[in-house]
Amino acid sequence: MNSTKKRFTEAYLGVYGLWLLAFVVAPLLLLLIQSLNVPGQGLSLANYRDFFTSGPYLAMTVNSIWYAFLITVITLGISYPLALCLTKLKHRQFWLLLVILPTWINLLLKTYAFIGLLGKDGLLNQSIEAMGFGSQQLLFTNGAFLLVAAYIELPFMVLPIYNALLDIDPLLPAASRDLGASSFQTLKKIIWPLSMPGVKTGVQTVFIPSLSLFMITRLIGGNKVITLGTAIEEHFLVTQNWSFGSTIGVVLIIAMALTMALTTDRKKKKRRQRK
Amino acid sequence: MQVNENILEFKQVALSFGETEVLKNIDLELDSGQFYTLLGPSGSGKSTILKLISGQLQPSSGQVIFDGKVINDLPAEKRRVNTVFQNYSLFPNMNVFDNVAFGPRLKKMPEEAIEEKVKEMLALVKLAGYENREINELSGGQQQRVAIARALANDPELLLLDEPLSALDYKLRKVLQTELRTIQRRLGITFVFVTHDQEEALAMSDWIFVMNDGVIQQQGTPEDIYDEPVNHFVANFIGESNIVPGVMKSDYVVHFVGKDFENVDAGMRPNEAVEVVLRPEDLDLTTPEKGKLVVTIKNQSFRGDYYEIMAQDDDLNLWQVQATNPAVIGSRVGLTFDPEDIHIMRYNESEAEFDARLEAYEDDETPTDPSDSADKVPEVFDHE
Amino acid sequence: MKIIERFWLAFCFFLLYAPILFLAVYSFNSGDAMQGFAGFSWVHYQELWQDTRLLQIVLNTLILALTSSLIATAIGTIGALAIYRTERRLLKQTLLGLNNVLLVSPDVIIGAAFLILMTALGLKLGFLTVLLAHVAFSIPIVVLMVLPKLQEMNRDLVLAASDLGAKPTEVLTKVTLPVIAPGIFAGFFMALTYSLDDFAVTFFVTGNGFSTLAVEVYSRARQGVSLEINALSTIMLGLAFVLVLGYYAYSQKTTSRKATKLKEKVK
Repeated sequence: MNSTKKRFTEAYLGVYGLWLLAFVVAPLLLLLIQSLNVPGQGLSLANYRDFFTSGPYLAMTVNSIWYAFLITVITLGISYPLALCLTKLKHRQFWLLLVILPTWINLLLKTYAFIGLLGKDGLLNQSIEAMGFGSQQLLFTNGAFLLVAAYIELPFMVLPIYNALLDIDPLLPAASRDLGASSFQTLKKIIWPLSMPGVKTGVQTVFIPSLSLFMITRLIGGNKVITLGTAIEEHFLVTQNWSFGSTIGVVLIIAMALTMALTTDRKKKKRRQRK
Repeated sequence: MQVNENILEFKQVALSFGETEVLKNIDLELDSGQFYTLLGPSGSGKSTILKLISGQLQPSSGQVIFDGKVINDLPAEKRRVNTVFQNYSLFPNMNVFDNVAFGPRLKKMPEEAIEEKVKEMLALVKLAGYENREINELSGGQQQRVAIARALANDPELLLLDEPLSALDYKLRKVLQTELRTIQRRLGITFVFVTHDQEEALAMSDWIFVMNDGVIQQQGTPEDIYDEPVNHFVANFIGESNIVPGVMKSDYVVHFVGKDFENVDAGMRPNEAVEVVLRPEDLDLTTPEKGKLVVTIKNQSFRGDYYEIMAQDDDLNLWQVQATNPAVIGSRVGLTFDPEDIHIMRYNESEAEFDARLEAYEDDETPTDPSDSADKVPEVFDHE
Repeated sequence: MKIIERFWLAFCFFLLYAPILFLAVYSFNSGDAMQGFAGFSWVHYQELWQDTRLLQIVLNTLILALTSSLIATAIGTIGALAIYRTERRLLKQTLLGLNNVLLVSPDVIIGAAFLILMTALGLKLGFLTVLLAHVAFSIPIVVLMVLPKLQEMNRDLVLAASDLGAKPTEVLTKVTLPVIAPGIFAGFFMALTYSLDDFAVTFFVTGNGFSTLAVEVYSRARQGVSLEINALSTIMLGLAFVLVLGYYAYSQKTTSRKATKLKEKVK
């Protein structure tokens, strides 16, 4: 009996382990090797030296992080109150589905909508003109890039926060009010800290993809904002310099790992260790 | 008893959610410094009353008056009332100290005063030295102690306790019952305690409100309620009861199970149909010849300090008896009881009508001294 | 509900839906641009209907999404079982860690890494390479949806089943899988969403012969606006909306049925 059970476990482990080796470990390892394999030089750290001594690339890295940060802050600022309002609605499941629904429309289509909205003679510009102001350059600006990126990431921020808020025992806010806290104090001292796991998940799922957006930078940002993602895409698909592209990729992975380390709950870790 | 001032009053308070009436025109008055209990089954409206006092709910009609002011719409945080919740509701993101300090900190007390207050409160609930513990490291009983300390740290005039002991095991519940009573006496704060456990209510309270279907069925001291239940519901809910239909032939004579019995109740219409209550502990087993009733033993189970015996009379009424000695199953035995053990309940008599009738006939000459019977039952309790 | 809360909800939903509705409205424009509504017309729907290349691509996208989600759900469920069953802590942590790597990796990295891998394996870029990549980035989310259901599952259930004489295969098919089914379905739908929403990974690993909707729209959008795309988006929006309503109605029905059952039990 026990041995069959063990055989089952081993079979699961075998299938899944093989998959992980072939399609998680192998590609990432190849990426790392590629980054060290400089054409004409063999294995060398030349790419990394070039990256970290090149002004434009460092600026691009800072730029990527700065814009990813802005996108995250904007999304969080809109999503947190939205998630809070959603949890108070009667048919909240339905409204939540309506928040998720736009994610089923491919992001290219949504981006495409913004091209129409923000274009030179687009709806927004026409409204601005109707109000008596001159036509503005909206498309291909940093603002447009932030707007569209935040728009696309919004549902991914709302969802984990909403779930975290629903997980809070409704008696806890009641207890806080009972002890003399106003609704704002309750939000600050009880609801916000208790919804932190959701906020962190949301920040991770928004910040990391935002580091490497390349399609929006091109279609909406007009290549004014160049992120690490754009650079990788160019090296791989345009200039065919895979080696340097991989180097940027590895740097991005390190940045991502740092983000994860910074946003992972320290308390939780401690508790796990104790167990 | 010291001079009591009225601290909280409900005037014709009703609450409905859509079609459902949760509370129907409740009137109640609470004096300061007393231990009150709201007792009733789940869904009877007892927790709703608590929420109306704490401000978690607003009444549909009527007035909630606190210290002489109508507070219907006063938000929870502005009321000098605090609640101990059933599942403790301690803030998991804070340790014990921060939980207890939550209220004082909101009041912007100086940090040293807060520290002193927290220490005092934790000592009161016997958790001195637990300041830096995390909530999830505490047992259920300890969590409830922290919850009590947290509520008391706010210096409430009224402390509400919403079934605070129901999640704890039997022994711990007993210990905390005594401790809560001690704390209440020491601080002199009014406690309103909600429970569905009649034993808990009888053991702790100065005054009990028995609730059912959104109505206060009866209120009074534990002794009053146990001895003189006004209706079937109260008689059944508080303690064990044998309830059989009967007829009041005249004052002090009741007819049931085919016989007339002398009793101590009066003030009904002649030949009025009534319900007769006899408590299991008031029934004694004897020989069939000496018995006022003759029954057959059907069943018995040992309960530690007594035997619980189920017997049946010839009209097929079941009688529950508590006896110190075992009986033989299948044997015929007699049951005896005293006239003052018989309690009569009129159908649909309200508490007010009941009180009025009681006063009216107690002015008459009474066959037995009423203080006699009043003293008797608490004894039963002590030994339980 | 306070006015400010209503206002915020209205504002957010306006923000979420304005661009999509904007797309939909202009799909009926008889003109050729997303500006200056010239009049109502179905002309772009007719264009779409005759654009066999685009329709083929939509079909490709759907087939890709369904196939990759199914494969990912199967492997992901096995993965969750493997992680759940493993008792060695280090192995468990490693498996979970490796699982999460792709989940938190930016699309561009996954795309680039898979491009290198596929080239190293000598595979011709096309449907197969895209499928493998989609399966790869869908598996972690399936694992994360199924694993909590396994952990929530009452362990005694499995013990009871084997105590009653069920063989391991029967325990799996009759106890474990039904219990974790909601997690498996959730995982499948998330995988479907991921696949349909993907652009970057596909863009890296697709070749000349195979394209998905996202890649096609990207190349068309760079040439300028075509209202045919609006018509397509509108149809997809309509379908998604019908799906949501249907799902909601279904879930309401089942929950209310459950509630009545529960009430009956209580009585």
